[in-house]
Amino acid sequence: MIKNIFNKTVLTGLLFIAAFFFSCSDDFVKVSPEYSIDSENYFNSQDDYYMALVASYDLLQATYVNVIVGEIASDNTLCGGESPTDVIGWQQIDDMIHTPVNSNLKDVWNWMFAGVQRTNYFMEFKDKIEFEGKAQMIAEVRFLRAYYYFELVKWFGPVPLKLDKRFQLGDETSIPRSPVEDVYAAIENDLTLAIADLAETPPTVGRVSKGAAQALLGKAYLYQNNPAKYPLAAAELEKVILSGKYSLATNYNDMWEMEGENGPESVFEVQYTDVEGAGFGCLQCSEGNVAVGFSGVRGYVGPLFTPGFSFNVPVQKAVDAFEPGDLRKDVTILDIEAWAADQGASYTTGNEHTGYFNRKYLPRKRRPEAQNDLNLTNPNNYRAIRYADVLLMAAEAFNRSGDDAKAQTYVNLVRRRAFGDLNHDITLTGPALLDAILQERYVELMGEGHRFFDLVRTGKAAEEIDGFVTGKHELFPVPQEEIEFSNGNWQQNPNY
Amino acid sequence: MFAFLFVGRAAFAQQARLTGTVISEEDGLPIPGVSVVIKGTFTGTTTDINGSYTLPGVSPESIIQFSFIGMKTMEVTYSGQLVIDVTLSPEATGLDEVVVIGYGTVKKKDVTGAVSTVGSTTIDRLKPVKVEEALQGTITGVNVTPQSGAPGAGLDIRIRGISTNGDASPVVIIDGYQGDLNTLNPNDIETITVLKDAQAAIYGTVGANGIILVTTKSGKKNMPTRVDINSSFGMQETTRVLPLLNATEYAVILNESYAANGQDLPYPDISGLGEGTDWQGELFESAPIMDNNVRLYGGSNNMNYSFSASDLRQDGIIGGDKTGFQRNTARLALGADLASWLKFNSTLTYTYINRSSINDFGLGSVLFNAVNMPATVPIYLPNGDFNLAPANLGIEIINPLQQIANTFNDYNLNKWNGNVGFDASFAKHFTATARIGFNTTTDKYKSFSKQVDYGGKVFDVPRSSVYESRSNYNDYTFDAFLTYDNTLDKTHHITGTLGTTVYKNWGDNLGATGWDIPNNSWEFADISLANGLVDSKTTGSFSYDQRRLSYFLRGQYDYRGKYLASVMIRRDASTKFGPENAVAYFPSATLGWIISDEDFMGGFEKLNLLKFRLSYGRLGSDKIGDYRYISTLNGEGTYVLDGQLVTGRAIGPLANPSIKWEQSQQFDVGIDLHYFNDRLEFMADYFIKTTEDLLIGSIPVSGIFGTSAPGAAAPTANAGTVRNSGFEFSAGYRGMVGKDFSYQVNYNLTLLNNEVLEVKNGTGFVDGGSFGVGQPLPARMQVGFPIGYFYGYQTDGIFQNQAEVDAHPSQIALGAEAKPGDIRFVDINKDGALTSADRTNIGSPIPASLMGLNLTLKYKNFDFTAYAFASLGNEIVRNYERTQPNVNRMAYIMDRWTGEGTSNEVPRVTTAATANNIFSDFYVEDGSYVRLQRMVLGYRLPENTSMKIGIREIRFYAAINNLFTLTKYQGFDPAASSGAPVGSGFDDGFYPAARTYIFGFNINI
Repeated sequence: MIKNIFNKTVLTGLLFIAAFFFSCSDDFVKVSPEYSIDSENYFNSQDDYYMALVASYDLLQATYVNVIVGEIASDNTLCGGESPTDVIGWQQIDDMIHTPVNSNLKDVWNWMFAGVQRTNYFMEFKDKIEFEGKAQMIAEVRFLRAYYYFELVKWFGPVPLKLDKRFQLGDETSIPRSPVEDVYAAIENDLTLAIADLAETPPTVGRVSKGAAQALLGKAYLYQNNPAKYPLAAAELEKVILSGKYSLATNYNDMWEMEGENGPESVFEVQYTDVEGAGFGCLQCSEGNVAVGFSGVRGYVGPLFTPGFSFNVPVQKAVDAFEPGDLRKDVTILDIEAWAADQGASYTTGNEHTGYFNRKYLPRKRRPEAQNDLNLTNPNNYRAIRYADVLLMAAEAFNRSGDDAKAQTYVNLVRRRAFGDLNHDITLTGPALLDAILQERYVELMGEGHRFFDLVRTGKAAEEIDGFVTGKHELFPVPQEEIEFSNGNWQQNPNY
Repeated sequence: MFAFLFVGRAAFAQQARLTGTVISEEDGLPIPGVSVVIKGTFTGTTTDINGSYTLPGVSPESIIQFSFIGMKTMEVTYSGQLVIDVTLSPEATGLDEVVVIGYGTVKKKDVTGAVSTVGSTTIDRLKPVKVEEALQGTITGVNVTPQSGAPGAGLDIRIRGISTNGDASPVVIIDGYQGDLNTLNPNDIETITVLKDAQAAIYGTVGANGIILVTTKSGKKNMPTRVDINSSFGMQETTRVLPLLNATEYAVILNESYAANGQDLPYPDISGLGEGTDWQGELFESAPIMDNNVRLYGGSNNMNYSFSASDLRQDGIIGGDKTGFQRNTARLALGADLASWLKFNSTLTYTYINRSSINDFGLGSVLFNAVNMPATVPIYLPNGDFNLAPANLGIEIINPLQQIANTFNDYNLNKWNGNVGFDASFAKHFTATARIGFNTTTDKYKSFSKQVDYGGKVFDVPRSSVYESRSNYNDYTFDAFLTYDNTLDKTHHITGTLGTTVYKNWGDNLGATGWDIPNNSWEFADISLANGLVDSKTTGSFSYDQRRLSYFLRGQYDYRGKYLASVMIRRDASTKFGPENAVAYFPSATLGWIISDEDFMGGFEKLNLLKFRLSYGRLGSDKIGDYRYISTLNGEGTYVLDGQLVTGRAIGPLANPSIKWEQSQQFDVGIDLHYFNDRLEFMADYFIKTTEDLLIGSIPVSGIFGTSAPGAAAPTANAGTVRNSGFEFSAGYRGMVGKDFSYQVNYNLTLLNNEVLEVKNGTGFVDGGSFGVGQPLPARMQVGFPIGYFYGYQTDGIFQNQAEVDAHPSQIALGAEAKPGDIRFVDINKDGALTSADRTNIGSPIPASLMGLNLTLKYKNFDFTAYAFASLGNEIVRNYERTQPNVNRMAYIMDRWTGEGTSNEVPRVTTAATANNIFSDFYVEDGSYVRLQRMVLGYRLPENTSMKIGIREIRFYAAINNLFTLTKYQGFDPAASSGAPVGSGFDDGFYPAARTYIFGFNINI
């Protein structure tokens, strides 16, 4: 009897000891995730830096929204789309009735700051190790940061600046919106330092060249509307011109096709491809040019092009802006009625149908390798800075600094390519020359997202854009959520 | 537990007359109405008012059976006595029944928490395809919503409201180990016990959403082998077809909408259009469902066993063989007494599931297309090919029949789960239990994207591909605990439990896409044959490993069974908690007072039980994402250089090192009342459940942190609080009329109130859900409102004329200036303009009350059961109408505004810009419904007939599931829900529930 109990107890006791051994200590639950890389212990090799650099480039592809909304906001195009409520945020910007509650403006803010944050991640660890080629990489990162901040300051005006480290939780209530001058100063600083270390020809196609940084710096100087900066702009832009690395494409049409990508006129081009799938759940993730699909001809069936969502439709006024004989007109504007009649193509009409489409960035025939959603994966690169743009900016900068001779030289290079002859040179001077240069920017850069900002900085927005209210619409409103997050630290832009 | 007395006076006679008296064990009084029957015959009688009976013509060796409702049936063998007196004792299915409460059991009478059970009888009556369905309408405080009516679709269970914006599903413990309800065969379940309040605190950090304990069927000792066969066959049809416009009505509406915008009429001549295509009619079909189960069970002196197998096949009411569900299970359960002090039990189950599905949810689903395709479009071209949907319908709508014909996918699951356990009563009053349970699953999925051109639509596939994925999921739960149980002085009963639980859950997955399928056909759709190349990554994988270590201690005490108390505390550590909060403690206490045992309650004879319960405790939930405290570089940073995709590395979701579990404080007070020999049972509870430290994932933070970069996300933080409070009530009555007719009625009611108390993320709310295309998020979790409430504009009728438009603030900011016939929105903040600041609470998907009513009637060999369920006060958003000028419309559009005074509800039709399509209460409908879930009529063959062929019982039955649903809701199914805490209640075109006509039989050998 006693033996029985003894055996029972011993057996069970042993069982239990075994059980508790098995169950072990709290270390059992301390597991590190398999196959993951910790962000604070990164940057241990050149390859690590390169990958972080590539990630910093990624957000350039999200600037499609800056381009298409820049066009829609201007007098170049109407919003269009399927119906009057298709992408309400864009419709409202088109009619200048937008408010701080606008998901598309929120996208611009979010995606550009995401770009800033990725560049800041790189810069935070830039001194961790040394290797050859690091200076070039740092220079590219500086360019990218300047590019993103330039977009932010154009769209929203004063924005919070942080340049040494990533933004941390708490910064939104403590870091103020820096005044526009300070933001530009930061952009200028980044670009100046970058220019020193950038190669004239980048290591791979798509990366930043010295010329790109100089062009962007010149543009930043020019856009500030500060007479002291015009000579600086002129000087910087002239360096790009005199470098001899860029030239105007002789065939204006081919420049916009696939074969013309990264051509001699490209000073900086945002790269896209069609081999990765994309969905509406994450438009900023797409490796394709989302703006192109959105601008396509609705229900199109026919040669050369493929259909799209019929947004961003050019207006008659823009079409009429081209002088007779301007070879750029038929490349910039697609007259769909004429084309359809001529080519036997068919199409349907969307909201605010004007009969015209932005031909430079229209979906072309797709490869079989192209991934779905086809509307979101168009491979058309965005020619962010073209040599023609550099020439026109230089012309404007020189004119504003008093050197009309140089201004005429540069603007006429563009004119001669546009008309294919020497009979359309501009010989005006002074303010009339300025107007002519600005008019040339209007037609040369139509469809590329610059018009709105050119009108704003030259004070012409109110007379050209319907509904534009001076003192309000020069800047877009800071997203309402950001104002709320800042808890009083950031104030809204005036009159919103 | 048999306490019977019989007095036999010997007498010898053939076919003698037998008399006697039947009295009750409890009070010694005679019981009238007791059925006294010679077993196997129809000869019988009932006792009279004095409890006496007379039975003529009794032969020797016959068995006399005494039965009465609520009492244990007694059988006495007649061997010549003149008189047989019998004492009947109450059935143990009352308060002596034992209830599982987690790491132990208590007598039902001694339960001090809010615990409800569903037994195998109820499960058998409902015969659900999935176990979760048996909890709908049968337990107070529990709401079950299907995610879709498609075969094999999942269901969401919510106990006492939605207490988190994360995963609000309760943890399921099957035979002691953590498991999964959706692969279980309902026929294998003995009982389901739901722990609703702080009673679940012994489960610590998995208890906050309630605990579902499942006990599976085992054999029975000392029982010769029995065989149970259950088979049924049913035909399903849809419960609902939406009223849509026919071709002529469609043309009229379209003409009017084009004319309103000054455009040419698309259908100048409507005379020849007729009815047109009935898309829904073409899609919905009758589909069969077959279910077969067999079970062998029994036991010897010290062993019991149960073996069961099942085969369930269900086709879908849309899609024919493209939507089908098959489940096969085989299960073995063994129990043995290895020694007088050592018990062993073990189960092993194998499950096989095969499922195919169609796009049944959201923009682009088959039903969405069917509802939006105009009736003027024929399904086929004259040559027999599918007709393409016209381009003017937008880029999403395609021919739904063509869509189904081009859908190819297959899902297979193989699962083994089981457990092994030992109970050792190794010393007086002590029992040690050690057990381990495991689940291991492998599944594979294949989906073929056939190259197809729908005519410029977003679903066009230019290049064929096949996607395959293989996953492996495993987990084990190991428990070891010691129980001490003793009664001191016959008055103080103490039970103590001390133990540990170890849980590990790990798995991995590999997925790949292959391109260019030979012959563009499903027969060849496999990665082994797909030789196409692409420039981007075609493979993906993930793996995970989560663990939990817990220690728990519980003490229960009762004084003479009258005053009851229990306390428990649990300590949990989990891989999910950040380093700053690695360990959690969860204490709780429950109290009970059996008032009916008190001396001062002696006068209430008919009162069997009056118990008062109180409980309070802290529980937790660790259903949060993994490794949220580590900032990893799993973001996406891809660019194109030299024309090639180049992958970079970027930060993924932002980290939060102080992440911890969600914690709920739960309070419950309740009363149980049993009357009339437990014939009337009544239960009421009031509860308050406050859950704080809600893990609000992707807390909207300022865009400056880069959280909207590809692959990035905002951090998760413990930042919210939600309170659920409510009242549960259930009443049941069973009785007999005469000796042949018995009935049982049960009613239960749950009243729920949900309010968000705190959202600490800067803006005070989290939004979610989706409505329309490109519209702001329509649902919110916000302080002062129920979780997931609808946030939109309030309407106030239709503008009848221009004067009314002019008198009202401008609506231009909503999309367009209003015109007569447009919806008038309310200027909530009275600032003189309609802007997005005028959005407000326009409804909630959470029901205010849930009710269940079930009725069981038995008359001789017939039985009838009806189960009905109601959900009241829940609202649903109509989100399956595509806002596009040329799509089809619902029939209610015929009541549109066409001139002053013609309508104040439905706005005018036009293709011009209006604000009528923005999210407002025009789209919010009352989703309250009453559904007759199941009605069964059964007939049991008389025993002597079935005994002739050696079968104990044969029963045939006919049943109808979902016979009718009473609701004002216009959509397919008011019951379906996505299950998301913020964002449910938006109907994108739910696959409706099926009405099924079933015939089946049970054979028990």
